[in-house]
Amino acid sequence: MTPKVCLIVREFGTFNRAWTQILRNLGIDYTLCTTTGGLTSSNIQTPQGAFSPSSPDLRGYFRQFDAVILCENTNNLTATSFINYSVFWMSWNAPEDPAFLFFNPHFSAAITESAYNSNFPSDFPIVRPDPSDLAGTLYAADGGSAGVVSPLSVGTLGARGACVLFLAENIRAHVMTICNAHTNNIPYYWRLDTAKHSTLASTLYTHRVARNGRAGEILAVPAPPSSSEDTETYPSDCIIAYRYRNIFWLPHAIQRRQDVADDRNPYLFWLLYGLQLAGVRPRYKLPVQLETDRPLQAIDTGAPFNHSLATQMRILAAGFDYMRDFARRTGTAIINGVRVGGRTRRTADFTYHWVLMYSTSVPAEARAVAQQVNQLLVTGHREGTLPCGVHDHSIGASPGGYWTAVVHTSHRRHSGMRYGAPNDVPIDRGRCCVAPHVLPAGVAGADAQTVQVGDTELVEWDIPTSGAGDTFDLPMGNIHAARIIIESEIEEMLALGFSDGYCAGHRYTNTAANNSGGECYWQALKEFGFRGVRSASACNTNLNTKRVAPNRYWNGFHLVKEMPLDIYAAVFAGFSWGLYHPSAPSGGDAVRYLELDHSSDISSGWTTNPALVWRAYRRVLCMTTGRWLATTAVTLGGAFFHPISCLGVAAPNRVVDRFDGWNILNAANQPHYNHAVELLENMDATVRLLPEYLYWGTITDVMDHRERVMGG
Amino acid sequence: MPVRFLRNASELADVSWETPLPVQVANAKPVPADTLLVATTIVDATANRDLLQSTSTELPTLDGCGQYRKLVWFYFRAGADATNYRVLARATDHNGAPLGAGWQELVADTLPGGANTWGRIEIPSAGDGYYDQYRIEVRRTAGSNYFLTSKIVGVR
Repeated sequence: MTPKVCLIVREFGTFNRAWTQILRNLGIDYTLCTTTGGLTSSNIQTPQGAFSPSSPDLRGYFRQFDAVILCENTNNLTATSFINYSVFWMSWNAPEDPAFLFFNPHFSAAITESAYNSNFPSDFPIVRPDPSDLAGTLYAADGGSAGVVSPLSVGTLGARGACVLFLAENIRAHVMTICNAHTNNIPYYWRLDTAKHSTLASTLYTHRVARNGRAGEILAVPAPPSSSEDTETYPSDCIIAYRYRNIFWLPHAIQRRQDVADDRNPYLFWLLYGLQLAGVRPRYKLPVQLETDRPLQAIDTGAPFNHSLATQMRILAAGFDYMRDFARRTGTAIINGVRVGGRTRRTADFTYHWVLMYSTSVPAEARAVAQQVNQLLVTGHREGTLPCGVHDHSIGASPGGYWTAVVHTSHRRHSGMRYGAPNDVPIDRGRCCVAPHVLPAGVAGADAQTVQVGDTELVEWDIPTSGAGDTFDLPMGNIHAARIIIESEIEEMLALGFSDGYCAGHRYTNTAANNSGGECYWQALKEFGFRGVRSASACNTNLNTKRVAPNRYWNGFHLVKEMPLDIYAAVFAGFSWGLYHPSAPSGGDAVRYLELDHSSDISSGWTTNPALVWRAYRRVLCMTTGRWLATTAVTLGGAFFHPISCLGVAAPNRVVDRFDGWNILNAANQPHYNHAVELLENMDATVRLLPEYLYWGTITDVMDHRERVMGG
Repeated sequence: MPVRFLRNASELADVSWETPLPVQVANAKPVPADTLLVATTIVDATANRDLLQSTSTELPTLDGCGQYRKLVWFYFRAGADATNYRVLARATDHNGAPLGAGWQELVADTLPGGANTWGRIEIPSAGDGYYDQYRIEVRRTAGSNYFLTSKIVGVR
């Protein structure tokens, strides 16, 4: 059977295309229906005609679907009509009826329409929100503080935190969660009428989505604190998700806005969870994978951590040992972009992989541990747990990556192989003819050679060459330069002990600064065996003359969209100061970078209220996991973080311990936090919650899936 | 009962998503148009803002368009606020590098339409394009910000 759902939208002018993009990526067929308004009298416009929302015709029409999804939501609880037409569906509970998925539904007590109120099921067990009595009908969530904007509009910044306990699965996970919101910009959870729930929970009910055979089921509640420091608790009648017969009452999933499908949709866990609860079996599961940029790198040895290079290397060794083990037990492959360039170009820069391993300026102890980290990576590369590829910040202008300058002045190349010194090789395009069939005989010089870039085959001659030297000015915008640069990167990878420079069988890497260059670099990468790279849309910043195609697919070459999961802003700081640090520079800690300090409800009491560090922890995990999930489900992209820049926050003697508030302190006497451990474990909980929809995969799975669903 | 077919000279395969039945396309013409861009832009008063929200003036909105005779820009504007637009274009060499800095301006005009209306603009308005890169900028000259949703189709 082909999975098929029906989406109900008010109008396409406020329709977020992420809804349909996710369904396409999952291979779930869908039908879009619009409404003629928000009242009970509004018609539902289907492809088979307009139906009254209470009509048997509409009910019959809905029965062809696995689920009916209501896409509308609002942050105004005083609205008297919004989705009033849907009230009739709450009573369509026969086994033949589909599951109905309501996300962040508007069922406010402010609705005055009599047809709505008289048809609202009297046994429905969630208290209807009352804008004139918010405290008596809802529970303010996540500290109850107001955000600057509606929490429903959160994209990649400004998350609200939630640790959710999924009762049937008995799994705790941090997922972006808001049940209802109001114009005060405060998020809320729902209040349960326990008497009504008790009745429903003891009433037998038959429907394929009723897992426990009862008419009512609490699906999820705020997880009780795991530490006595965390005093943010909720009453026992506070709930997050509920099944009322075949009706799923779920938190916010996707913001209502006129937008194309992109990765600014961090709440979509609830869509996937709702679809799974509704028994919608997708044709395809989505592969989840993670990448790191610069697995062996050092940060400043000064404040606030004062980590020596040796300590930093030990943190990395413990971190990658954990990640290798994680990949082994889950079956994923954590991609790592090795910061090459230290062997031939940036030979005195401690931020480079090679330098940390071999420069005598690095203390011997640190060098020894750096070599252990490298051995761990080489082993992981060989066994498939930690595949490594090239990642080069040493070329062109800041921030590095491919084709970031017109000319790389005093470029220093490698030795040997095909394009290294002392070989005299082309370094720039010569005179050329892009249509060899019209090239008159005798025009091309003796050095003429055929060059292929994409669909264009051309003949070049009078080509400038390097001579035998190893240093020269290298014009970057041509395939000859690309070949020299990429071969030098691979040469360094081989010298480091890796079998290749493109993550072994995955034939992929994450480009430095997400600069993949342009056609000449993509062509050269293909020649060296690459199948794809991670790339920004603007793919040669700060030269800024190129963009990738919107479908990110060039002549069979993948240009995978990037998504940073860091906990610091690289433009302001070289590393993260922690979840929060009172003295951190702007953007220098997770709370500042991710804009999580709503109404100063973290910064104002950081040193006096231990609960606030748990609040920060929840928000950081919700935001980063939400970004990762959107990358997985919407853009089929590559999410990444920078290891030492994020892991310096960890306590050096307990690197891979789980977060425990102020009970474990790091070198700055702030709460220990290991971003790799927390992020992976939280995503693992998410994957375990969604076995029908997600699996731990690899970048190869991502590229395979892109080809599967992109179409012709 | 599974349906099987002769996948090659020696292999009998079950029909599945991974191994679909082979088909031969007949009586079909290649579609001469490709969708090149779908984007939502917040139209504000910032100078040099393109459809992808970039203000970096050398950055193309669309790249690799050399095969297209014409681009057709469909849009839906949520606001009626007065807006200017500019279409810039240039050619690149075979490596994808622009032949020079800057752009050739194809058109600079007022964006037609009111609130919640559709528009269609052909680029170039006369003759053929075949430019490699285009930059399309929009700038509100009065009123308030609004959303502009665009789809650009390349016609061979």
